[in-house]
Amino acid sequence: MEGPDDVIHQPVRLRVMAALTALAPDEEGLDFARLKSLTGATDGNLGAHLDHLARAGYVEVTKAFVARRPRTTVKASPQGRAAFARHVAFLKAIIAGT
Amino acid sequence: MTIRSDEAAAMLADVETVVARVKQSRIYCSAALCIILWGVVDLVRDILIAVGPRWFGPRWFLIDLIGVAGTLALLRNGASPVSRFPFRILAAFALFYAFGWIWSDLLGQFGPREEMAFWPTLFLFGYALAGLWFGAAFSVIGLGLTALILIGYFWSGEAFILWQAFVTGFGFMLCGLWMRRA
Repeated sequence: MEGPDDVIHQPVRLRVMAALTALAPDEEGLDFARLKSLTGATDGNLGAHLDHLARAGYVEVTKAFVARRPRTTVKASPQGRAAFARHVAFLKAIIAGT
Repeated sequence: MTIRSDEAAAMLADVETVVARVKQSRIYCSAALCIILWGVVDLVRDILIAVGPRWFGPRWFLIDLIGVAGTLALLRNGASPVSRFPFRILAAFALFYAFGWIWSDLLGQFGPREEMAFWPTLFLFGYALAGLWFGAAFSVIGLGLTALILIGYFWSGEAFILWQAFVTGFGFMLCGLWMRRA
């Protein structure tokens, strides 16, 4: 059995990946404010975790201006989706005792 | 790294909670646009009825058609876009209007004041029911605005049409904006 994904295992990053993979691959992604609300993280905390996930290639972060206001959108990459699916399978295997 | 079974279960429960919240927020986001639209439709309709009761009073349904068409268009292009034409939504509208007409015009023969209270509360009843499946915000909106309409029906006197414009117009718009952030 593969081990846990050290990048995704952290609670906030786990919630981030859970939120992002709940969307279909062709959907736009979630904005920073929505992710903050879903994960319960602070601005700085979430930003640091998103950087970590981006460096691992698990998320794609897009920064743009909408009506002159900065908007950060985050989307799970195909690699991130696969890694999250493996991590969830690992957790389920622990519960199943295998 | 060693993870105990109970820790793994807690993490998976966390994942499920987040996924459920994402799905609910997408429903709320789609619904919010429709609710804001109906706030605008209700406000325009009630103001038109207030300024031109003889012409707009019996023809309120024409203004509602704009709301129905707008709702269907929003659902096709919203936060959770539907891939096929939302026939069930159109059917739901038709059933609500048919049921409403049967009671307000055919069996009940409501007067203007009763009609003005009945129609929005009929649809708000649908919101209250929807909340049982799709999220409490719908029920809060349905029950809250119904209560305000009843207050206006009994106590607003001649200002009832303007009360309605305020409650269902601005009320829906504010509720839609609230729901977008929920």
